[in-house]
Amino acid sequence: MEHIYREIRRDPRFHDLERKRGRLSWILSTIVIANCLWYIFATAFFPEAGFAAFWGKPIGEGMATTWGIVIGFLQTILFVVLVVWYIRRANGEFDTLKDIIVADATRAAGDKK
Amino acid sequence: MQASAVAGGGGASTVAIALFLAFVGATLVITWWAARRTRTTKDFYAAGGNITGFQNGLAIAGDFMSAASFLGASALVFSFGFDGLIYAVGGLCGWPLVLFLLAERLKNLGKYTFADAVSLRLAAVPIRCLAACGSLVAVVLYLIGQMVGAGKLVEVLFGLDYAIAVCGVGALMMFYVCFGGMIATTWVQIIKAALLLTGATIVAICVVIQTGWSFEGVFATAVAHHPNGLAALSPGGMLHDPISVISLGTALMFGTAGLPHILMRFFTVPDAREARRSVFYASAFIGYFYALTFIIGFGTIALVAGRAEFLDAQGNLRGGTNMAAIHLAQAAGGELLLGFMSAVCFATILAVVSGLTLSGASAISHDLYSSVLKRGAGEAQVVAISRYSAIGLGIVSIWLALLFEEQNVAYMVLLAFTVGASVNFPLLFLVMYWRGLTTTGALIGGILGLTTAVGCILLGPTVWVEVLDNERPIFPYKYPAIFAMAASFAGSILGSLFDRSARATRERAAFTDQYIRSQTGVGSEGASGH
Repeated sequence: MEHIYREIRRDPRFHDLERKRGRLSWILSTIVIANCLWYIFATAFFPEAGFAAFWGKPIGEGMATTWGIVIGFLQTILFVVLVVWYIRRANGEFDTLKDIIVADATRAAGDKK
Repeated sequence: MQASAVAGGGGASTVAIALFLAFVGATLVITWWAARRTRTTKDFYAAGGNITGFQNGLAIAGDFMSAASFLGASALVFSFGFDGLIYAVGGLCGWPLVLFLLAERLKNLGKYTFADAVSLRLAAVPIRCLAACGSLVAVVLYLIGQMVGAGKLVEVLFGLDYAIAVCGVGALMMFYVCFGGMIATTWVQIIKAALLLTGATIVAICVVIQTGWSFEGVFATAVAHHPNGLAALSPGGMLHDPISVISLGTALMFGTAGLPHILMRFFTVPDAREARRSVFYASAFIGYFYALTFIIGFGTIALVAGRAEFLDAQGNLRGGTNMAAIHLAQAAGGELLLGFMSAVCFATILAVVSGLTLSGASAISHDLYSSVLKRGAGEAQVVAISRYSAIGLGIVSIWLALLFEEQNVAYMVLLAFTVGASVNFPLLFLVMYWRGLTTTGALIGGILGLTTAVGCILLGPTVWVEVLDNERPIFPYKYPAIFAMAASFAGSILGSLFDRSARATRERAAFTDQYIRSQTGVGSEGASGH
């Protein structure tokens, strides 16, 4: 197993893969955490905080539904969309590349034995 | 109590009992079927690794949508209006994070429990003990919450004695786990998730119909019935203490990634691809479910709040605010829906406690017994120990549920999230992402996180003041998650930085291979052999 690991470590495509996949997962995680914190801070500090003041306003004249409710719904949808986005790339592009890297490394490690 | 318990009418109870018996019957058949397929440890802990992404996603959703989260989330909205939605948003938020940061690495590194993944490059014995402690504390807290919920539910709905209900639930869960292992637990979870999603959908549709066929109607009726009017739909104002709110949010966001019974589910699928796919289905179902709790939560304000038939003699909600969603089923869909939802909630509790018991039993048998106490024990022996552990855990949780009868259900579950976020999550995260983590650091951090969490809970307002009758709390906040999580991370990082031992050098050097394995799955369990 160590031989294969060594081969993978030498492969520049692996470092390319880890960089791309790592960047994607950190960007998406940041979006999720920021959204959640926005919600938590709005709940914790409202109404003093300006960034959430409109959450309590109705979306239309004489309506009861507030922007906060709409944003809450949209966040739910956003989270699922981000999950789909990540999985499409990870199960498609990234996994295909990973399979090639592993196959090449396994072959190379076998040759050297 | 007895009279009010059946005030909903005999019809409701008959429907509920019939449905509930049908569910129990079906699950017993599944357990019998699963028992004949459970031979190896891999079958027992990981259902042979043959669960598909879709099935696992549904089962994860089943694990996560506990009765405490369904009843508790609606109860929070009922009590705190908009602020109560934090449970839904925070709870859902954990899922994308599990996918982006942990799921595939966990699957590639571990075998049956998350302790496998963290002990790969660290010293196995102390780290497994730590992980097992973190798991067991979280599992037991969660179990108490669910068992108390089950007892209360049965008391209110069927008029059965609390102790009998708790013992019944305990006996059934021991049976599922002992005989059916992960295969039975998974299928019980899948059926229950389907039932709960169906039930919640029907309740939400009935609420929308009753309030004039529009979402606006639901919120307008809620505003009209709430003493605070439009303020019920705006953030703030009800949960006053910012630190507690942030701490609660943190526990929900990161606790998911530290709950052992959830993490264990990632080992039931064949590879990382299916592990990711399970998170997709899980978050789609959980997202949909929490979107429904927006309607159901505000529906409880619109249709249940202030109505005389749902109040007890003191003017409080009958059975406590946790019963708001159950009352809503009756208000929105009549006796039939009440019966259906009661049975669904009970089935939900039964399924979740089975998942919890299985993960607790794995912590004892796989992490403690076969990896620490008696290394190289045979498969049959380990499975036997798992079965005894399941029985032991069942008995302990029945006893604790009887002891903690008066505790708030959602709060107990949040404490489990707190332990998950402050012991298991930092350990798992650091071992995967930080080369510098050493055994010493991990132990210091884990112990610090666990003691801070438990200490703050004991000295905080809930236990120190409400249970122990002291004047004022020593630790002022209700939810200690941010403090405990910070203590755990700080302890692990500082402890590792100052660790100059030869073992630490070896552990840091082993990071590279572990990293490649976690990224590619080369050398992982299940990649070979099956």
